[in-house]
Amino acid sequence: MKRTRLAAVSAVAIAGITLAGCSADGGDDPAAADSLTVWVMGDSSEHFEQLIAPFEDESGIDVETVAIPWDSIDQKFTTAVASGNGPDILQIGISKLRTFADSGALLSLDDSSLADYPNLASSNFIDGVAGDATAIGGEVVSIPWVSDTRVLFTRTDILAENGIDAPPTTWDELRADAKTLAGRGDGQYGYYIPQWDSALPVVMTWDQGGDIVNGDGFIDFDTPEFEKAVDLYTGLYADGSVPTNSDFDQTQGFISGVAPMLVSGPYLAAAISSAAPELDGKWNVSVLPEAADNTSLLAGSNLGVWGATKNQDGALKLLDFVSDPANQVTWFGLDGQLPTAKAALADEALTADPLVAVYSEQLANSRILPLVPNWDGETGKALLDALNAIVLTGADRDQTLQGLIDATSSTSVN
Amino acid sequence: MSTTELTRPVTRMPRQRRKVSVTTIVIGVLLAAGAFATAFPFIWMVFASVKPRSESVAYPPALLPQEPTFEFFQQLFVELDFGRYLVNTLAIVIISMAGLLLMAAAGYGFAKFRFPGRDGLFFLVLVTMMIPVQVTMIPTYLILNGMKLTNTLVGIALPTLVSGFSIFLFRQFMATIPTEVIEAARIDGAGEWRIFFRIILPMSRPILAVQVVLTFIAGWNSFLWPLIIANDQRLYTLSVGVSLLNQQIATNPSLQMAASTLMVVPILIVFIVFQRYIVQGFALSGLK
Amino acid sequence: MVREDENLPHHHHEAMRQRIAPYGFIAPAMVLLIAFGVLPIAVALLVSFTDMNLAGLGNWSRIQFIGVENYVKLFADAAFWQSLGNTAFFAVLGVPSVIILSLVIALALNRSQNRFFRMLRSFYFVPAITAIVAVALVWGYLYNTQFGLFNYLLSLVGLPPVPWLSDPVVVKFSVAAVAIWRGLGLNVIIFLAALQGVPKEYLEAASIDGAGSIRRTWSIVIPLLRFAIFFVTITTVIAWLQFFDEPFVLTKGGPLGASTSIALFLYQKGFSSSQFGYASAGSVVLFAIIALVTLIQLRARRADVDY
Repeated sequence: MKRTRLAAVSAVAIAGITLAGCSADGGDDPAAADSLTVWVMGDSSEHFEQLIAPFEDESGIDVETVAIPWDSIDQKFTTAVASGNGPDILQIGISKLRTFADSGALLSLDDSSLADYPNLASSNFIDGVAGDATAIGGEVVSIPWVSDTRVLFTRTDILAENGIDAPPTTWDELRADAKTLAGRGDGQYGYYIPQWDSALPVVMTWDQGGDIVNGDGFIDFDTPEFEKAVDLYTGLYADGSVPTNSDFDQTQGFISGVAPMLVSGPYLAAAISSAAPELDGKWNVSVLPEAADNTSLLAGSNLGVWGATKNQDGALKLLDFVSDPANQVTWFGLDGQLPTAKAALADEALTADPLVAVYSEQLANSRILPLVPNWDGETGKALLDALNAIVLTGADRDQTLQGLIDATSSTSVN
Repeated sequence: MSTTELTRPVTRMPRQRRKVSVTTIVIGVLLAAGAFATAFPFIWMVFASVKPRSESVAYPPALLPQEPTFEFFQQLFVELDFGRYLVNTLAIVIISMAGLLLMAAAGYGFAKFRFPGRDGLFFLVLVTMMIPVQVTMIPTYLILNGMKLTNTLVGIALPTLVSGFSIFLFRQFMATIPTEVIEAARIDGAGEWRIFFRIILPMSRPILAVQVVLTFIAGWNSFLWPLIIANDQRLYTLSVGVSLLNQQIATNPSLQMAASTLMVVPILIVFIVFQRYIVQGFALSGLK
Repeated sequence: MVREDENLPHHHHEAMRQRIAPYGFIAPAMVLLIAFGVLPIAVALLVSFTDMNLAGLGNWSRIQFIGVENYVKLFADAAFWQSLGNTAFFAVLGVPSVIILSLVIALALNRSQNRFFRMLRSFYFVPAITAIVAVALVWGYLYNTQFGLFNYLLSLVGLPPVPWLSDPVVVKFSVAAVAIWRGLGLNVIIFLAALQGVPKEYLEAASIDGAGSIRRTWSIVIPLLRFAIFFVTITTVIAWLQFFDEPFVLTKGGPLGASTSIALFLYQKGFSSSQFGYASAGSVVLFAIIALVTLIQLRARRADVDY
């Protein structure tokens, strides 16, 4: 009796499992000619579907958007490369661009293949990320899509209380102002240097008129401009103007006034507005201070085409569609991400917002980090480790910097 | 030692102690203090999930929200494709329960039989606990791809259907079952699988309850395999859906707390339901 | 007359059935385990002798055999040795803490079956089931140097703030504390389940004899929990040698590698930069360490009574 009951239960279970196995398999689409799969990061996928609805209507191509969590793109991409089954289009964070390009899984997008698509011409995009700016080994494998940058945030009220009428416009001014502000008392600072931010010292080097990549494409920290940047970086610590603990919270620091000046991105502005609406009018953003220049970081995401895609024409059409300045403006409205098309950045709908006007202005003078393999894990990390060792543990500056130079001099963008 | 004695359940202690002893009270107080300290971060999380964003950055920190809001829970339900993800998650949990049976059988095999290769094979069981999951990711994916199980619920559940941890746990508990009972049944003419289902499993109720809870937790929180093996969002689970809300740098702490609270409540319910089976032991006299 | 010859085939059949029965029990689970758990280790071993990266993964002809170069690179890396030392520290600190604490708590919880005690069980279990993301947020907030709760409480009594997560020494304890906190729940439950097998009569008899509670616990209950203690020890050691989640979400291994464990080091150096050959070599080394430690524990156990 019990045995038959057991057998019956098992039979049902097995049937259930088989059914489950069959029914969920809706993803295999053999008719690839009129469909596209797009990988979009994070929670933007719904908005993306709204954005491309007109494209689907017009072209008759059925676009399936798949949302990929930011933290998991590595795993997703790796398994796709391993099996050969990938999407048709994928969003690529610029920090991942080199790794993905090196995999050989992306379609080469040279001028000839893009000739039919006016919106994809490199002249349409901001310089920092257009055309050859993202070429790896001379090959372009992605199209700019959305951008992100870093600007100066200041608590205008706190600055005014301490005799500073306007945000600093040069790095020397910033250093002096930070010292003044840090003098407000114990536990008060003037500025904040995130210990995880490998872009900041690079930006400082750029602003001194230099570069960290030499003419042959190799990383080169052995330059007078980098030295000046290190002076600035370590000077801020030496002045006591910045906190020394690694877990300092940017948002809370700015809102509470503990760190009234910061270099950060639009995401911080959004956070401040929603978390501290009472601070409206008491803070502002401005373009970065300059020394020889005020170049800032250009981050953001591009879009790439899977090499083994079965619908290359459709993919390029979609890329053309999202690169249309009008659609880039729409995307900004839907998802809040800044465009990369110059015309979109100049559009009234964007520049009406004073914050966006600043971002736009800064984006025109922004560069991406060098496209070396594994910036975050190697070059960038070595840079941070060296600087943090000097400012936090008092390591010998010349020795540490020499160690950094030696460790990174063989890394190349090619 | 008759079988009736063995299957007599332990009831609550008959009226031997009307008064709870002093030691017990002291222990109770200490435990309660410890419990509060242990659960404090969890309590903080729950309160943080209803704090508006302005309060989540407030200093000095306050436990209780001044203006509680459910907007983040609302946001979760609206932005997350909650219904579908829930169904997928539950399906995986159910499939995982089938794995329980396989693991109990294996635990029993290792516990109560001697056979050539036993120690070596058991070490293999332990060995599967010793490598980081990233190492298993690619080979597993390729195997599933070859079996045409990608983008299926079975494919998602398969890699974690059995675990070395659970087989080890079963084995340890089943080893304490008196061999005499099994021998007696054999002499009575019972087949091996019959013994397994009618004697071993009932006697393993506490550990089965533990394993049900553990399997539920694992299935409920399943993230990596649904993410990798699904080609489209239709097979995403709750964990994957929740992680979609993590933006690249900016975090909305209240939203993440709300998501985590949401994920933990069903597990807590399952635990509360099953915990009485964990602790409702059987009087196994002569148990070592 | 005893018809022995009639019994013979019956016995033979029985013996056969008993001999192959265990294989029947373990086969389904072992097949799955070997396919998804053991095979990848063998693959990792192979890959560790190559320079496989993303490009090689997509196109196997681009993979080159490089012998032990990955291992040489690994052992020459100071950061690797630092992470090794950190991991050892974490294990030595965490494993005994988890085992002893969860045993004590389980014994205390087992004291009574009344509703109050039953409710307390859930409290102790809660950390184990909370998502690591939430854990990181809450603890990161509690530990925050400027705005965290702990330093706020310290400031109320006039004490200076403690750099919980930014001091290279303190951070190890802070991170380990979170992991101990998380690891308690599961082991408490396992011990509780195991305690159900300790007959109440034993405890009763001992107390009538006048043995004190602690003596009773030490001499009777704990030996009876051998099998559970063995399990908890082995799995806890394995878990702590693979320590990853807490440093990853709380400190990303900082400051300056002070809280980087081997698993985190492998993740940062190997997996997230798609250096699979290098990452595999590191994984093999980690695996060898864990296997060795476990073997030692198994051997030590075998010297004990075979239950």
